[in-house]
Amino acid sequence: MSYAVGDVIAPFTINAVSEDAMKDWAVFLADPNPIHLDVEVVKAKGLGDRVINQGPINVAYMMNMLMAAFPDGTIEAMDSRFLDNVYGGDKAVASGKITAVDGNRVECEFSLDIEGRGTVNAGTATIRLNA
Amino acid sequence: MSDEAEFPPAPQVAGTSLDGTRIFTVSAEENARLCRSVGVAPAADGTAHPVWYYVATQVAMGKTVAGVCETCEFDVEDGPMMGSSGVRFSGPIMVGQPYKVGGEILSLVRKKSRKLGVMDVLTYRLRLHPADGGDAILETDNVWVLPRKELA
Repeated sequence: MSYAVGDVIAPFTINAVSEDAMKDWAVFLADPNPIHLDVEVVKAKGLGDRVINQGPINVAYMMNMLMAAFPDGTIEAMDSRFLDNVYGGDKAVASGKITAVDGNRVECEFSLDIEGRGTVNAGTATIRLNA
Repeated sequence: MSDEAEFPPAPQVAGTSLDGTRIFTVSAEENARLCRSVGVAPAADGTAHPVWYYVATQVAMGKTVAGVCETCEFDVEDGPMMGSSGVRFSGPIMVGQPYKVGGEILSLVRKKSRKLGVMDVLTYRLRLHPADGGDAILETDNVWVLPRKELA
């Protein structure tokens, strides 16, 4: 495959962020923070009226987009900033574009956007293309 | 007078070791479950989903999240917030491969923001090594925001 600066990366979409996935991640992360599990706690803390997705799940969505876009490559580096919460039931879309191509390395910028609320994560990545 | 002079300095925690003793292994079952939870199928080549970088380093570092907060004299119940996460891979995370974690706190900087008031910005670095030794297969820098309600 060939890549060029400005190429748009095919989006990766989660139609409804899963509350069951948050329960799984509480186990993976060994972190039973109730803001991911109990909507009443979220309400009590004034953080909204739905449970909040664990941050690294949002990173995984963006990684999924990159892995699908570069089946002949691997993620060498990735930086992402957490700008806002993602809630259970949100429709999340990871999208991005290529910003540089240098030999077997491709630089990308990307974001994770929530329908109706805008960007909640943004970042950059370097993909190493396999020989 | 600067804003910083209005409140006491952040605890001096830079250099605190986060080296872990726990061995962390991603099983095929766990990897499949994690992949399903984020909407993809597991890879067929034995590599784990790369987001395990975050999970493995957090779970197998030498302190719990609450423990890291305590080191920073911050109550985890006050709600630490993820600011950013960066990772640099030199190799993939493999299913069934045992790993261990090394790392340290890089900095804790007290700031004042219009949105959050007084907060401490915590940066720590973790590395994932094969459990039997050798170079790290990844290094991650995580930044957490610790809102200091008591200083607001």
